[in-house]
Amino acid sequence: MLGLDYSWLADPAYQRWLLIGVVNTLKLAALSSSAAIVIGMLGALGFTFRIFWLDALIELFVEVFRNTPPLLQMLFAYFTLSTLGLKVTDPSTGLSVPLLSAFACAAISLSLFGGALAIEAFRSGIETMPRSIVDAARSLGYGRWARFWRIEAPIATRICLPALTNILTNLFKTTSQASVITVPELMYYAGQIYNDTFRTLEVMILVLLIYVALVSMLTFAMARLEAFMAFPGYGRGL
Amino acid sequence: MAGFALHYDDKKRAVQLLIALGVVVWIAVDAATGGSAYWTRVLLRLPLLLTGSASGWPVTGGFVLNILLSIASMVLATVLGTIMGLGTLARVGLIRVPSVLLVNFLRNSPWLVLLFATLYFLPFEMRIFGTIVPFPPFVKAVIGLALPTAANLSEVIRGAVQSVHSGQWEAARSLGYNTLQIYRHVIMPQAMRRMIPGWMNLYALLMIATALATVTGIQDVLTILNTLLAMENERVIVYFYLTILFLFIAYCYPIAAIARRLERAVKGDSL
Repeated sequence: MLGLDYSWLADPAYQRWLLIGVVNTLKLAALSSSAAIVIGMLGALGFTFRIFWLDALIELFVEVFRNTPPLLQMLFAYFTLSTLGLKVTDPSTGLSVPLLSAFACAAISLSLFGGALAIEAFRSGIETMPRSIVDAARSLGYGRWARFWRIEAPIATRICLPALTNILTNLFKTTSQASVITVPELMYYAGQIYNDTFRTLEVMILVLLIYVALVSMLTFAMARLEAFMAFPGYGRGL
Repeated sequence: MAGFALHYDDKKRAVQLLIALGVVVWIAVDAATGGSAYWTRVLLRLPLLLTGSASGWPVTGGFVLNILLSIASMVLATVLGTIMGLGTLARVGLIRVPSVLLVNFLRNSPWLVLLFATLYFLPFEMRIFGTIVPFPPFVKAVIGLALPTAANLSEVIRGAVQSVHSGQWEAARSLGYNTLQIYRHVIMPQAMRRMIPGWMNLYALLMIATALATVTGIQDVLTILNTLLAMENERVIVYFYLTILFLFIAYCYPIAAIARRLERAVKGDSL
């Protein structure tokens, strides 16, 4: 219809590139998502202590990472962390090389970016939890820790699962920006392929479809999990 | 209790102010111990980073171009998003199903990939009704960024419209209003109030995403930064990056903060 030419797709070399790209994208997404969830939980836990200076620090962290482009964060990590002293001397060549690879830089900056979003989500999950449940737990004699681990955390997790879905898909989509700092993920290999074949439009359409398929799978899985974990009386768990 | 809460927030503000002050002191100390040479480089290049021309005028790029790009994109996204949002709410399946599919497709595709796809999908120029409409990279960037924003906005609109109690639909219908009139006179005036925080949040998100427009080759702040950094030494790069990060925070944080305050104000009222 549009005169699209996909004959290059038959080349095993390009198939291999696409496959490696998808695997690396999945690796980066999995690594940064899990780190983001851990950061989010720690941050939200930090808020529950109601220590004013800790609150202030966490809030600052969240605002800085939410209000700057993730692309810029990645570039910053990639280009400046080594000049700021994160360097090692390669014993075989004697040259000083950056301690962190492009992949590590991307993973770190994506984790922090996702973590900042996750802190907000978990915090609002804890805040929207019905007060009566907390009061009931308190009147039953639950202490601060038991209340957090047995009452607040499980219920808040279920309440903020939809928000977490948004963050995870957002993070997955943002991994494509790691291609800019030469992380060999899907978008990077897409560039390699169209530099080789000059089939820019065809390659971009295919990559777009792959991303949409992957993200759709993630949202579908999360929707199933949401339905399973829905908290009666809140959101969709009616 | 309220007094205590206020006290607590005050203490928090004080700590944040202290941190900000600490950053200022750190910059001053750094400038005093040899960093001033780097800061002069940044200051020298600041007009270029902001407006794209060394003297600061006329505006040919830089951070101001990012702002212009975000505004143009937001206008287009608001129009497209409203159409898509009402499309997903249509009762006619022939309109609703394609709308839902389109919105989900756009929402599930990465911004960068969508921007690239738009870049290559749109022709260099297009013949519309006999006149040749050129598509410079800026226009392509506007469209490429507007598409995902529109899809996200349509979700905001859908949520706001659905938050209006269904009894109002029934009441208006029983008074003889047709669908268009109900939207115009009953639903939209109420839903609009709930849309505004989401709309503003999306704008802040869009502004952050304009950093991606560097791939289209327009002279936005990142493109200029990359050109500049090619001529600077390794150490100055840190200062340049910190400056750009600060520009984005200074522009986006107030918008996000106001959006959050509005959100809290809207939360209470029941429709």
